Amino acid sequence: MANLKDLKTRINSVKSTQKITSAMKMVAAAKLRRAQESAEANRPYSSLMQQVISGLASKASKATAPELLVGRETVKTHLLIVVSADKGLCGGFNGSIARQTRLEIKRLEEEGKSVLLYMVGKKAADNLGREITDKIFERVENLQGSNLDYNKVDTVSQKILTGFSDTSFDHVSIIYNQFVNAITQNVAVTPLIPVQINEDKDTGASNYEYEPDENELLEQLLPRNITTQIYSALLESFAAELAARMTAMDNATRNAGDMIDSLTLVYNRTRQANITKELIEIISGAEAL
Amino acid sequence: MADVIKIELVTPSEMLFSDSAEMVVIPGSEGLFGVLPRHAATLANLQRGTLNVYNNDAITRRFLIDGGVADVLPERVIILAERAVDLDAVSTQHLDEQLVDATDAEVAFVNAVKEAV
Repeated sequence: MANLKDLKTRINSVKSTQKITSAMKMVAAAKLRRAQESAEANRPYSSLMQQVISGLASKASKATAPELLVGRETVKTHLLIVVSADKGLCGGFNGSIARQTRLEIKRLEEEGKSVLLYMVGKKAADNLGREITDKIFERVENLQGSNLDYNKVDTVSQKILTGFSDTSFDHVSIIYNQFVNAITQNVAVTPLIPVQINEDKDTGASNYEYEPDENELLEQLLPRNITTQIYSALLESFAAELAARMTAMDNATRNAGDMIDSLTLVYNRTRQANITKELIEIISGAEAL
Repeated sequence: MADVIKIELVTPSEMLFSDSAEMVVIPGSEGLFGVLPRHAATLANLQRGTLNVYNNDAITRRFLIDGGVADVLPERVIILAERAVDLDAVSTQHLDEQLVDATDAEVAFVNAVKEAV
């Protein structure tokens, strides 16, 4: 039977852990609201951009269309942009990104393609560790946060565009956590180059006038579209991270509460047992006289 | 009431302007162009310049935009700009704050804003 002092120390340490987790939960909840707002504020821009590109793409002649739109004929190397968090303590958030990345690498290598990785955020890179050291194209940390800077995202996409035109890779997709709602996140793999186009949507593009012509416009817009897509993926991922942290910390707080309850029960039982034992000793001592 | 056209100015971080007006003058990469209601459907590339919103033959709102694309339809115009600043609401102090660890493109943009104000 554990002694009372040890139990007391354990209860206190669990209590202070609980204080930390509940504070983290509160902080994540407050930040989540702001992150969600900025993710929502970005939606009109990215969806309108998609709409414009889709309309243009349906008009552009396939033969002369830029490679960013239609992709290369022979795809040898894939670049995967892996978006994870810089910090841990957010449940399965980083783990599921790492798992998906591993699957994706395996799938592509079985197809005989080579894979390069652009790691955004610290945790997935830590998680994948030595498996990927020879595949890293670039790493960036501390990019995400409450005020994600469009210009910093632009430098990321510039690097990707340069790499694409150097033929370091022929296909680009991004792996990130989609924010569905406060308790659900979805790992999404979205292709960036070539551009994904919703063919079914009729944008009424047939009678547009273009200034300058379609191909030149596409050349201007496609690089911007890459930045926009990465930007919105980062916003989504940050909101998802905070949501995941909020849920994880909520669970941790509840578990700590359960643990405190059961420890307190053991503590009280031990205390009673000690008292009973002492009483028995006193009584049997008195009877012996 | 005069004929109006719906205008939306959107940047990656926010919807900066969404209202109806009589005319809007847009800095296209091939030159400034005015958009009135029932304008022909156009998709135009934009360059850095001021975007003027007109009501009653006078400028009511001014924005400085930095590149982007304008999607014009007869009843509405959507301007997608990477960076945009409302010239009536901007403060020099705020602009100077932006200059701290700014990229070249940003510095050029902020200077253009200062000039326009």
